[in-house]
Amino acid sequence: MIEIRDAVTHYADRESFYFHNITFEEGKITSVIGRNGCGKSTLLKMIVGLRPYKGAVMIDGQQSRLLSGKERSRKVSYLPQNLKSVNIDVGTLVSHGRYAWQSGMRRMSAKDFEKLDQALAITGMTEYRNKNLSELSGGERQRAYLAMVVAQDTPMILLDEPTTYMDVTVQKTFFDVLRKLSKEGHGIVMVSHHLEQSFSYSDRICLIHDKTALFNGTPDELADNGALLQKVFGMRVKRSNDADLLYPYSAIK
Amino acid sequence: MRRYIIAVIVLIFAIIFALLAGNGAIDTENVLEVLSGGGNRAQRTIIYQVRLPRILAALSCGAALSVSGYLLQDNLNNVIASPGLLGINNGAGLFVLLSAILFPYQSIMKCLMAFLGALCAAVIVSILSSGTGMSKTSVILSGVAISSLGATLSQMIISVKPETVADKAAFSLGGFASVPWTVTRMAVPVILILLIVAVISAGALDLMLLGDETATGLGCNVKLYRGTHIVTASLLAGAAVSMCGLIGFVGLIVPNFIRMSGGSKSRGSIFMCILTGSTFLLISDTAARLLFFPYELPCGLIMNVIGTPFLVWMLVRKRKRLGAYD
Repeated sequence: MIEIRDAVTHYADRESFYFHNITFEEGKITSVIGRNGCGKSTLLKMIVGLRPYKGAVMIDGQQSRLLSGKERSRKVSYLPQNLKSVNIDVGTLVSHGRYAWQSGMRRMSAKDFEKLDQALAITGMTEYRNKNLSELSGGERQRAYLAMVVAQDTPMILLDEPTTYMDVTVQKTFFDVLRKLSKEGHGIVMVSHHLEQSFSYSDRICLIHDKTALFNGTPDELADNGALLQKVFGMRVKRSNDADLLYPYSAIK
Repeated sequence: MRRYIIAVIVLIFAIIFALLAGNGAIDTENVLEVLSGGGNRAQRTIIYQVRLPRILAALSCGAALSVSGYLLQDNLNNVIASPGLLGINNGAGLFVLLSAILFPYQSIMKCLMAFLGALCAAVIVSILSSGTGMSKTSVILSGVAISSLGATLSQMIISVKPETVADKAAFSLGGFASVPWTVTRMAVPVILILLIVAVISAGALDLMLLGDETATGLGCNVKLYRGTHIVTASLLAGAAVSMCGLIGFVGLIVPNFIRMSGGSKSRGSIFMCILTGSTFLLISDTAARLLFFPYELPCGLIMNVIGTPFLVWMLVRKRKRLGAYD
């Protein structure tokens, strides 16, 4: 579980970001939504040690900044927005997910290989194992990186706009994988720009606006709070009961 | 595994050839005799006091400069970064000359000053390039500026105090003709320790290639490792310069050759840099001794002849690969 209480971070040339009270739970998919520059990615960076902060960012009851890199990465995995296409095969990439569990010389144990195989299987990347990352499409590359963080085997997984390069079909598969992971007990926290997608596939929504969190609850609760959505996005979200719809929630003016 | 075996075999042959080649009319039998404890005094002097120390110096400098180049290239994400281009060699060279003025005939000070010079150059280049955005171009341009400054100041010292170097050409171009054993004895253990540090910390390089944010998410302390690697690379270059002077291009050619020959894991590539770099510099030094026998060229001259077209070829190759997108 990740708990953020009165945490502040400053950028030299921008205003402070202040997060009063946010909780991300295991076994749930939480979407972090908001407009550009509101602080969504900053929130994730504070959790994983990429942004210094004052206040409390607690991972399983421990201050994030007091944990070593490896200790933190055994509890929380993180996939940033910009993923590099480097000259390695998918298997090697996914094996990097085991770094936090390995000693300095990075020998792969039997458990490491087991987790690697499981991560490839759960993300549907087993057949791509020996393919070079540079040969993959943008969507496949994102799935390969997802396999890497799955191999990290952490209770919480943080994803910063993970579906950017995916077409609709791949996005659907991707969310099925996330659902599978959440059913296994992993907590997923996902920054997204896509309102309908976030409402449709998440258990909880965290709405960030003007450098602070305005709402943290279920999609239905937020959809019912039309005034808040109107204030932030200039639109509302409506739920449909049509089971055939890809996104049961749709944004309306 | 096959490439390691080939590299070790080539290295062994290069050492045997370097031991046998050269003036002194010593044949294979004499060498074996001396190595097994026999031989006359002149033969023992040539083998133990001339050729073996020179081979050891060439091997350790080759390994040091190659690994230094590899670490700099990976940490700065720039394939043309090398201790020569970044001014680290010239920084170390300048301080070696200063040590000859301030602490004459003190080998330990020569080594320490070389380390200090290399570190100073690396720190100044880091500060200059971070002040200008830390882009690939700004890193290289800062390095070229510091390199030029170091070279100019070195030339000034050599002009005003010519006694600071025994052989001006050998120092400026780099070579192994007059490496004092006292310096080799001190620099080689330091190089060995630094190579071990490079091998141990190489696992983090694989993660850092994925980008700083991804690497941090995986548990890698990027700042700590980057600092360690840049300091290690600088000290390796400093140790090499304290022995062989300003040999250029080894740190550029060898790591890029290793990358092109395949193998994606950094630790394996560093091992290959050690094997290939040491072999490459030893062969170059042996060639420098034999090409115009009985005259000897500075080894650095051979490196410049090979390195300049290599650098041009790399730039052209990169340009072609980028094509219309550049």
